[in-house]
Amino acid sequence: MRRFFSIAAWTGVALLGASALGAIALRRGETLNAIWFVIAALCSYLIAYRLYSAFIAARLLSLDDTRATPSERHDDGRDFVPTNKWVLFGHHFAAIAGPGPLVGPTLAAQFGYLPGTLWLIAGAAFAGCVQDFVILFCSIRRDGKSLGQMAREEVSERGGFIAQLAVLAIMVILLAVVALVIVNALKSSPWATFTLAMTIPIAILLGLYLRFVRPGRVLEASIMGVALVLFSVVAGQWVANSHSWSHLFTLSGIALTFAIIIYAFSASALPVWLLLAPRDYLSAFIKAGAIFSLAAGILFVRPQVLMPPLTRFIDGTGPVFSGKIFPFCFITIACGAISGFHSLISSGTTPKMILREGHARLIGYGAMLLESFVGVMAMVAACAMTPGVYFAINSPASIVGATADAAAATISGWGFPLSAQTMNDLARSVGEQTLLNRAGGAPSLAVGMAQIFSNTIGGAHLLSIWYHFAIMFEALFILTVLDAGTRVGRFMVQELGGRLWKPFGRRGWMPGILLSSAVIVGLWGYFLYQGVIDPLGGINLLWPIFGISNQLLAAVALVVATTILLKMGRTRLIWVTLVPMAALVTVTMTASYAKIFDPSPRIGLLANAHALATQIAAGTIPAAKLGETHRLVFNQRLDAVVTAVLALMILVLIVEAITQWYSILRRSREPILHESPYIATRWAENFSGTAHGDD
Amino acid sequence: MARIAAHAEIKPGTVLGRCVSRSRLSRIVRIAWRALRDWCGDAAYEHYLRSKGARSASVHTLTPTEFYVEQLNRHYSRPNRCC
Repeated sequence: MRRFFSIAAWTGVALLGASALGAIALRRGETLNAIWFVIAALCSYLIAYRLYSAFIAARLLSLDDTRATPSERHDDGRDFVPTNKWVLFGHHFAAIAGPGPLVGPTLAAQFGYLPGTLWLIAGAAFAGCVQDFVILFCSIRRDGKSLGQMAREEVSERGGFIAQLAVLAIMVILLAVVALVIVNALKSSPWATFTLAMTIPIAILLGLYLRFVRPGRVLEASIMGVALVLFSVVAGQWVANSHSWSHLFTLSGIALTFAIIIYAFSASALPVWLLLAPRDYLSAFIKAGAIFSLAAGILFVRPQVLMPPLTRFIDGTGPVFSGKIFPFCFITIACGAISGFHSLISSGTTPKMILREGHARLIGYGAMLLESFVGVMAMVAACAMTPGVYFAINSPASIVGATADAAAATISGWGFPLSAQTMNDLARSVGEQTLLNRAGGAPSLAVGMAQIFSNTIGGAHLLSIWYHFAIMFEALFILTVLDAGTRVGRFMVQELGGRLWKPFGRRGWMPGILLSSAVIVGLWGYFLYQGVIDPLGGINLLWPIFGISNQLLAAVALVVATTILLKMGRTRLIWVTLVPMAALVTVTMTASYAKIFDPSPRIGLLANAHALATQIAAGTIPAAKLGETHRLVFNQRLDAVVTAVLALMILVLIVEAITQWYSILRRSREPILHESPYIATRWAENFSGTAHGDD
Repeated sequence: MARIAAHAEIKPGTVLGRCVSRSRLSRIVRIAWRALRDWCGDAAYEHYLRSKGARSASVHTLTPTEFYVEQLNRHYSRPNRCC
C-alpha cells in the first residue's frame, strides 16, 4: 500500500513538472507567470534526484557505506574533518555557487527565456550533477586526491599536465571576466563604488578582530561585519548625493581596472587572515541571504515573465553577445548547467570532509541541482523586466547608441518597444546617472532583483537601496572569487616557476610572493584591460572564451571519470559520463571554431582583426584612434591563439584517453586502478552494508 | 468556545498547544545553531581538539590563534571558490 502511494506521489510530481515545462515551452504571445519556472525546475530536480542520482549511486558507483572515508582514516582536524552531511552540503554549495549561475543566464536571456531554462534544467540533471557526483566519488576513493593528480595517475602524465594547464588557463580567463563584470557594474556609479570600497576596511577590521581579539570566532565577527556592510549600502546614498564625495567615487572603466588590479595584488600578497579570509566570511553570509531572499521574493511576488520564449537573436546577431543559439547558449551558461571548475571543489576540500560514501549523492548531485535552481532564478529575474530595458542595459554603445534617445530608437526598431523616458526614470529611481550600456549582466540582474525585492518590502521608495544592495552582493562575492583566485593562481605560478628555480617555489619567500602575484595579476589584468577598452564592451569578447575554458575543464573531468569507470568494469553504463562528455566536446569545439574562424567580424576573432587591419590600411581610422586600433587587432589575434590552444588541449586529451580506453576494452593492457584499499568503517559496527542510493 | 476549550487542553511543556513540544523545539534550535557554527567555521577549533590528530601525544597541539592562521593558509592555497 505504501509503495502504491509512493508511486502515485512521484507520478503526480512527474505530471506536474511535465505540465509546467509544457506551459513554458508552448506559451506563445501571452504573458507567463514565473511560478511555472519554479514548478518546472523543482519537479524536474526531484525526479532527477529520486531516479537518476539513485541509479548512478547504486548501479554505476555502488556507493558503500561500510567503507571508511578519507575523513575517518586521516581524521586530523585540519584537512580531514568528518562533517555532518547537511553542513558539508552547505560548505560545498557555498564553494561552487559563484557569479557564474547569475551572470550566464542573464546574458543568455537575449535568446529568450526558453533555451537557457531548458539547458539549465537538463544540463544540470544529465551533465553538471553527474560530473560533480562522479568526481567526488572518485576523489573519495583516492584519499581526496585532486583532479590533476587523478588525471596523471588514471589517464596519463600528459593528461595530468593538461589538467594543470587547463586549471591555470581557466583561472586567468575567469578572473579577467569576473573583474570585467565588476568594472561594468561600478563604472560611473559613486554609490556602488563607495559601498564596495567600504568592504575593504570592514574586512580588515574583521581580520584584526579574528586574529588578535577572538581568534576563529567567525560567527560573531561576521554578524558585526554584515551590519557594517549593510550600513555602508545606506551610506552610499549620502555619498552619491554629496557633490565632493560623489566626485571622488565616480571612476571610469580604466581607473576601476587599475584599482581592482592593485586590490587583487595586495590581497594575494598580504597575510590571508588580514583581508582575504574575512571578506570571504562576509561574502558567504550575504550570498546565502541574498539567494534565499531572491527565491522567497520570486515566490512571493510571482512576477510575469515579459521576455518572449525565443527572440530574433537566436540567429547570432544579438547585441549582448554575438553567436548563434548553438553552440553559444551552451557556452554562455556554464555554471548552472555544467561547470568544470566544480570538479576542483569536488576533488578538493569536500572529499576530505565527507562522513560516508552515501552522502556523496546529496552533496555531489544535490548541491549542483541547487546551483541550477539559482541559475533559473537569475533567468526569471532577467526575463521579468521589460525586454527593451534588458537590451538597453546590456548592449554596448557601439550597437545601440550612447544616448537614451538613440538606444530607444534602435531597440524599438528590433521590436522591443522602449522610450528614452523609461530609461531615464529607471536610472533615477535606482539612484544611478544612467543604466545604458552596462554590459556584463550584473546591473540588469540587480535591476531585476531590486524590482522583486521592492515589490516584497518597501515598494518603489526602497528601489534604489535594493538595487545597490544587489550590486554590492554581486560585487562582494565576485571580489572574493577574484582575490581567492589570484592567491591560488599565485601558488600555481610559484609551483611552475619553482621547477625552473627552486627558491621561487618557496611559499614564504617574499620576492617570490611579490613576483608571482605580479605575474598572475598581470596575466588576468591584461585580459581585463583589453575587455575594458573593447568598443563592444568586452563581455562579447571574454565571456565566450571563459565558457570555452570552463567547459574544457569539464571535458577533462568527464574524461577522467570515464576512464576510471572503464577501469572499474562499468562498460555497459559508461554512457552516463560518455554522453555528456561527447556533447561538451562537440559544443566546445564548435564554439572554438566559430570564435576563431567565423567570417562575421562580430563573431570571428580573426575576421574582426582582419576588418580592423583593413580599415587601418585604408586610412579610415582617425589618427587619434590608430594606436588603440592596433592594440585591438593584436588582442583579437591573441584571443584567437588562446582559444586555439584551449581547443588543442581538448583534442590531445581525447586522443590520449581514447587510446587508453581502446587498450582497456581490447584487454591488451591490464587496467590499473589507483584506488585506496578497502578499510571497513569503525563508526558503524553493525552497519548492514547495503549499498546507498536505493532508498 | 471551541478555542477556549482548545487552550484549556494545552499541556505543560508544549508550544502553542501544537504537537511541537518545547523540548523538541529547543533541540531543533540547538541543532540549527550547531550546524550554523559548523558551516561558518566557528566550531573548527573545537573539532580540531576532538580529532585523532590533535589527541595524538606525539603532535604539538595548536593554540586557537595558531590553528586559525594555519587553517586559513591551507584553505586559501587551493581552489575553494568557484565561478
